[in-house]
Amino acid sequence: MNCGIFREMIGPYVDETLEEGRRHWFRTHLRGCPTCRESALREEPSLLFAMAPAAPGEPEEIEACAVAVMGRIRQDRLERRLHRRRRPWLAVAAAATLVISGGIAWLTMVGGGSGPLQPAVEARREAELQNSPPTVEVEMAGEEVRVYQFANEADMDTAVYFIVDPALEL
Amino acid sequence: MVKENLCVQSVARISHRRPQQEAGEICGVSFGSRGEVVMNDLQWIQSAKNGDEDAYAKLVRRHSGGLHRTVARILADDTEAWDVVQMAFLKAWQKLDRYNPRYSFTTWLYRIGTNLAIDLLRSRTSRERAHKAGTEHRLRLVGTGEGAGARADSNETDNVLQQLVGVLTPQQRSAFVLREMEGLETAEVAEVLGCSATTVRNHIFQARKALRRELRVRFPEYLPASERG
Repeated sequence: MNCGIFREMIGPYVDETLEEGRRHWFRTHLRGCPTCRESALREEPSLLFAMAPAAPGEPEEIEACAVAVMGRIRQDRLERRLHRRRRPWLAVAAAATLVISGGIAWLTMVGGGSGPLQPAVEARREAELQNSPPTVEVEMAGEEVRVYQFANEADMDTAVYFIVDPALEL
Repeated sequence: MVKENLCVQSVARISHRRPQQEAGEICGVSFGSRGEVVMNDLQWIQSAKNGDEDAYAKLVRRHSGGLHRTVARILADDTEAWDVVQMAFLKAWQKLDRYNPRYSFTTWLYRIGTNLAIDLLRSRTSRERAHKAGTEHRLRLVGTGEGAGARADSNETDNVLQQLVGVLTPQQRSAFVLREMEGLETAEVAEVLGCSATTVRNHIFQARKALRRELRVRFPEYLPASERG
């Protein structure tokens, strides 16, 4: 009897007009009854995909995903915290650069200073600032923030490497 | 939410304090049918919002398998799907304050994951897709006689989809996978994809039409014997 009802439902199922509860029953029957599956596929081959199973992921893969996600969340949080802390310094540095540049420009315009030497010195300072190696701040439990600085590319004698473990709590 | 495949591990058992108690709720704490304390998504989300990372890790463990299966079917790429799943959980964490508890966390999460998958599909060039289709493993044939579809197992169904899914648009793929393979209701698919129920039905109709045609041409072994000619 169930099989008879099932066959009557094939058309409405494919047309998306079957009520959700009946649809659920249809899919369960499709998976469980080989005879009906055969006739359903004859009528609508794409019903093959309705038999796709609910295979859960491998526990190892799920755990690896959780570790990776939590590692990225901690890293993201740390980066945002550092970014917030650096903002006032960036503003001060930008203001100082503006004042110095303005002063040099004004001196150049009025003819003061010692000719082209000052702008060259300033340009070198700016270049040094831009080329200075990046720093990383790390919060240690119960201690102050530690600031690490990477070695400069030009400095061939010193190198600092960080091995970042996503699972590692900084 | 009527789902057959989603939330396989919908309830996490975290202890066995009340072995004889029936399912119920006491002082806001839910108990499973065997008396174990169970936590639902909302409780974990609330804890996560308060900064409890372990609670969020539990949500990741509960939902990542199902989300991965869906995304892998949409992308036809198992490895890439894990990247998308991680990105989806990261994005969900960043937007956790904007999560509306009136809606299912699963639906919200699947919306994020599906949108990321659709973006990824759109960013792939047609050349990449053609190359991928050409280099995929050929599906093993599963005998003659009566229709192989009658015996098609899980991996085979996914393998067939992997090879045919290229004929569908990203939206059609997503709608078809969520509705036909994951068993979501039309309204839920519409919510995940951010479109109307009518649009979902249209996507399903077009996807079924294209897959039917491709199945007949490329996988006649999956048709009943009388259909193969």
